[in-house]
Amino acid sequence: MQIVNHSIPGKKSEKEITFSFNDKFLKAREGQTVAAALMANGIKKFGISRKLQQPRGLFCANGRCCSCFLTVNGLNHVLGCITLVEEGMKVSSNDADPDVRRKANGD
Amino acid sequence: MDASTIVCKCEEINIAEIELAIKSGANTFDDIKRLTRCGMGPCQAKICTNLVRQIISESLEVPLSEIRPPRLRMPLKPTRISALVGNEVSSSVISVFSESAPQEDDENHG
Amino acid sequence: METDLLIIGGGPAGLHAAYVAASNGIKTIVVDESFSLGGQLRQQTQRLTNLPKQFDSQIGITLMQTLVERLTDLDVTILSKHTMIGTYKDGRIGVSNGQRTIPISAEKVIVTTGAAEEAFVFPGWTLPGVMTIGAAQIVMNREHVIPGKNAIIIGSNDFALEVGKQLIENGVSLQGVIENEDQLIGCKEETIQFLKEAGVPIYQNSYVTQASGAGEVEKVIINHNGSEKEMEIDLVCIGKGLTPILEPFEILSCDFAYEKDLGGWLPQYSTLMETSTASIYVAGNAAGITNLGAILLTAEIAAISVAESLGRQCKEEATEKRELLWQELYHLESADSKAKFHGRIKLMREFQDNVDIQLSKLFNMSVGGV
Repeated sequence: MQIVNHSIPGKKSEKEITFSFNDKFLKAREGQTVAAALMANGIKKFGISRKLQQPRGLFCANGRCCSCFLTVNGLNHVLGCITLVEEGMKVSSNDADPDVRRKANGD
Repeated sequence: MDASTIVCKCEEINIAEIELAIKSGANTFDDIKRLTRCGMGPCQAKICTNLVRQIISESLEVPLSEIRPPRLRMPLKPTRISALVGNEVSSSVISVFSESAPQEDDENHG
Repeated sequence: METDLLIIGGGPAGLHAAYVAASNGIKTIVVDESFSLGGQLRQQTQRLTNLPKQFDSQIGITLMQTLVERLTDLDVTILSKHTMIGTYKDGRIGVSNGQRTIPISAEKVIVTTGAAEEAFVFPGWTLPGVMTIGAAQIVMNREHVIPGKNAIIIGSNDFALEVGKQLIENGVSLQGVIENEDQLIGCKEETIQFLKEAGVPIYQNSYVTQASGAGEVEKVIINHNGSEKEMEIDLVCIGKGLTPILEPFEILSCDFAYEKDLGGWLPQYSTLMETSTASIYVAGNAAGITNLGAILLTAEIAAISVAESLGRQCKEEATEKRELLWQELYHLESADSKAKFHGRIKLMREFQDNVDIQLSKLFNMSVGGV
């Protein structure tokens, strides 16, 4: 069987790694999702909703509901529940839609 | 229940807005989508489909078996535009949007 | 990429279908959205009963390992972190890994995308700390993180009660099961007894009137038999059951049918597990919410139908195998719910055109038994 991008199931690494959330350094275990790593550090609020600015966090944990959107290494709207945390990863909360139009206009 | 309760979590559409759409003549999920943006956010109605169907069913007294899910569209998951476009200069935007049929060479960069 | 068989979804149905197909010499690709295979088996720590006779009774995690490991020497390519996002006009399937989109050309496709958990609405349900019961189980059993300290569960089906038990075993204080009916939905005595002995209050005729908190859920008010009760809660689990995932089938132009006992809307299929779109098959929970035994058996039926249509099994052999598998499926599924199997038969009967085998005996058995 050829395996592409596939971690060995059933083996939970005990290796500790460091990542950051909103510039604060936190610890996680290798092989955990970003969402779980944040929850392990007591962080449940991952961002705010786009219209009413209400808090949002993990809901379905299966990559469907988009409630766990985070900014990861500068990339907006990353699903925290299906993205594995990595050493040195820079995570920040999803606080707004990217302002695409303004960037396109060069403002 | 409080009519200000959110049903569509992405576009933040509440019960009152959905009921208003139904009073205005909507009787399918797609009608409600067009009138309110309910189900048109990042999750594309994956979470609110059955919640909205339930409200339609109760408001119009129609059994759930007669209320279809909304029309589901591509891409099926949030996808970056860069992932839809080939990474070669010569490639056109063929993608799953499929305005044109895929060309032979998209295997090379796909 | 080109392949004989493309399987969308690497959960129990997808993995089992891949094994059966590849064992028949079929070149197979399995696409899965997650970073590892196994789907919802990855966090199932409870013992699974009602498995097909080729499997010993075991927990989901070990079953997942078995299903993955036996693909090792077969012609199966695994594309993890790849999601089906659509189809091309020529029928190829577009699969994206986030950076690029790969067109996959396949003779046959088995869609095993499984089920999604139902949401449930009450004021404050969008707050962090409110999640599906399945999400809580993932955080706890797969990620090894405690999802909250003081929990309630909304809904009382067997799965919700089972995860409630697991939450308690992991040190979470389960402060209530909130059921709006006047009796529990779940019926596994052992689990109910465990919760009773652990002192978990069961609130029947009850519902959550509000969840609130600053930035995350801190407080929940429930209405129990008409009177309100305030609770300090930081984890609200929604356990309202499952519904088949539909979106790949819509894009593949499959016709849908409604069967309440199978979880609502789902693709129509024949006894071959082939949908209304030729060469597109369905298996697992996407073909109707059921137990793990039936999930695996539908996958095997679909894989055998694929093997037959690709000329890797003769018609007689395939027909005989399917007949036996449908009989086993009848027994495993009926043990949980006769209505479910009856719903399946109804769905297939309304879509009879391309059924190649006579299951009348089995149909009559089921219909007569309901």
